[in-house]
Amino acid sequence: MTMRNSVRPLPAPEPAPLRIAVAGNPNSGKSTLINSLAGTRLHVGNWPGVTVEKREASFERRGERIALVDLPGTYSLSPYSQEEVVARDYLVEERPDVIIDVVDATNLERNLYLTVQLLELEIPVVIALNIHDEAERMGYRIDVTAMEQALGVRIVPTVATKGAGLEALLDAATAAAGDPSRHRPRRLHYGGDIEAAAEALMAEVLRGHPDLAGRYPGRWLAFKLLEGDRRVIDEAGLQGIEPLVARAAEHLISAHGEDVESLMADARYARATGLTREVLTKPDVRKIELTEKIDRIALNRFLGIPLFLAAMWLVFKLTFDVSAPFADWLSTVTAGPFTRWTRVLVGLVRGPDWLISLVTDGVIAGVGSVLVFVPVIFAMMFFITFLEGSGYMARAAFVMDRAMHSMGLHGKSFIPMILGFGCNVPAIYATRTLENPRDKALTALLIPLMSCGARLPVYILFVAAFFPSRSGTVLWSLYVLGIVLAVLMGILFKRTLFRGESPMFIMELPPYRMPSGKSLAIHTWEKGKHFLIKAGTYILAVSVLVWFLLNLPWGVEQKKDSYMGTVGQAIAPVFKPLGFGTWEAASSLVAGVIAKEIVVGTMGEIYVPGKVEAPAGPTPSLSEDLREIGTSFAGAGKNAFTNVFSTAGIKSLQAEEDEGTTGLRSVVSKTFTPLSAYAFMAFVLLYMPCIVAAAAFKHEFGTWKWFGVAFIYQTILAWSVALLIYQGGTILGIGG
Amino acid sequence: MGIVDYVLIGLIVGGAFYLLYRSLWKKKGYCHGCDSSGKCK
Repeated sequence: MTMRNSVRPLPAPEPAPLRIAVAGNPNSGKSTLINSLAGTRLHVGNWPGVTVEKREASFERRGERIALVDLPGTYSLSPYSQEEVVARDYLVEERPDVIIDVVDATNLERNLYLTVQLLELEIPVVIALNIHDEAERMGYRIDVTAMEQALGVRIVPTVATKGAGLEALLDAATAAAGDPSRHRPRRLHYGGDIEAAAEALMAEVLRGHPDLAGRYPGRWLAFKLLEGDRRVIDEAGLQGIEPLVARAAEHLISAHGEDVESLMADARYARATGLTREVLTKPDVRKIELTEKIDRIALNRFLGIPLFLAAMWLVFKLTFDVSAPFADWLSTVTAGPFTRWTRVLVGLVRGPDWLISLVTDGVIAGVGSVLVFVPVIFAMMFFITFLEGSGYMARAAFVMDRAMHSMGLHGKSFIPMILGFGCNVPAIYATRTLENPRDKALTALLIPLMSCGARLPVYILFVAAFFPSRSGTVLWSLYVLGIVLAVLMGILFKRTLFRGESPMFIMELPPYRMPSGKSLAIHTWEKGKHFLIKAGTYILAVSVLVWFLLNLPWGVEQKKDSYMGTVGQAIAPVFKPLGFGTWEAASSLVAGVIAKEIVVGTMGEIYVPGKVEAPAGPTPSLSEDLREIGTSFAGAGKNAFTNVFSTAGIKSLQAEEDEGTTGLRSVVSKTFTPLSAYAFMAFVLLYMPCIVAAAAFKHEFGTWKWFGVAFIYQTILAWSVALLIYQGGTILGIGG
Repeated sequence: MGIVDYVLIGLIVGGAFYLLYRSLWKKKGYCHGCDSSGKCK
């Protein structure tokens, strides 16, 4: 055998993808632009700070692989915040083939400040002049040709939400990457003194460190050294260069009477302002924009908070009214035909009795009890997405910012806290946008008090059982309870664990926009699918384990004598003063530590009757069942529609209660009172964060310390508040 | 209950624990603010 026979031609190496970094100010539409270009579903919100980390989306275009990197939104490339560090490190160290700079055409001057800094990096740049349609509507005229000539880069007007201009943008980006020497941005002159100082310094530095020439763009490095950028000095290995920099900066400081960092910022602003004046024409008579009109009310000192509370009330009312009929429908289908036919199927494969019970009384009762609330969760996420996309959430944060700041709290903290309404876990990760470690820890400690979607199934179960006619108000009261307690705990922490002043926070308020149907659908699905995945993974796993715990020791007659029942009975006395001292409630709360929806799932398994009695009369056939499912779904749709009009005040109808309360709800309504139900909901809202949130604390802070603090204070708070509600209500004779 | 039942129970319980470990720890709860692979970096 010769070597020739054993050698196979190696496949040609795959060409490296074209790397395009997408940079821009917060809320300029970077993530939307990437989603439109690559068909991805990065989280988008009409408020700043949605992208904290850089994220990548790859796709193929005309046979070429393109990797888009979504950088966090930043106003500058100075290393003052986590976002700026992430964006700058990527651009300087990875040096992408081309940068797409997303510029908000309605906010040209501020956006160009970042553009000016991007040009310093000497990487080909293409500008996406985004939100161009809105700028035109506002009467702005931007001379794109003049701007291209001034900056030496291609500029493509785009409307990312509608996909307009994106093909031309990609064409321009690939052309710029293909021939970087022809697309090198123009060098913007910052004035004789600065340029001379930078040139002299660079010459000195390169004499001692010639290797730096290939690693960093020379002029940019000189600017950073002159600014005294500690991070760059360390990364470039230029420790000890300070005397040289001081000599170079000496003339600048004495001639201008300012530190170099301020001088550089002034020079960059001057270029951005000058360019804006040259290329932008605004209408002479300034119209009062719709945004400004709405903001006069929405941000009013006295009306702001009441309006925010009213908006929240409407969201909860609509959520309940729209979704409750579908939740009822799902509950009926799960408990009836679905369980019946699953039992038949497992019987057909001759599964043992315990397996049939595990599937029906464990998996279906457990997972099914949670899944019936999927319509509620999707409805809630739809309305939250709408508020985010419309720009109102940023106003809510602004209004709360003012209130929180007046109490000595950091207003920026409220942004991650609002994220917590969806899920506490990403909200804890979002605290990395806060520069001050004290604020970061404080905010993370308060986030679990924001009622996440996982608590919703518990609320809906109890609200539907006890407060059907005041559903929206009761739901709203729980969310407000969480916010009020977060503010109170914030004040307490600020005066004990986290003493010290918080820096000012300048919040950007984006214009109001009507979110597109596609964007609403995508982001509602992105938020809601998380609950479906949970149901199919760890809620399923816990349901299986709970079933075993309810049936061990093997053959146990009564569930209360099972392992789970024994543990529940041991803990139950702790909850007796709170009005729910039963082993069933105690066991559900323990299981709910894994995820709050599991409280309902576990109740579904505990309260499911041991042996299901066959209904009187003949068992319906599969086709009869399917017909019934279809008919009841149409009925649910009709009810939801009627309820929406009832919410709008066109027709006053109560939520339907005439179909016979579904299994779990009817058991719950017999074992709780309205007062103990409310105390139970408050306890679920406040008691320890779920296990995934605990892991998020560990990942984000690198220690279990803050989770430990959250665990202790929340457990005490939950118990005390539930006690206050139950005992206070009992004394006052309310809902006992 | 025969040996098959015990084996089946072992597999189901083991699978449930593995699912818990994978989804809660490795995938960090599949939170919606994380990237497509469920990782919050």
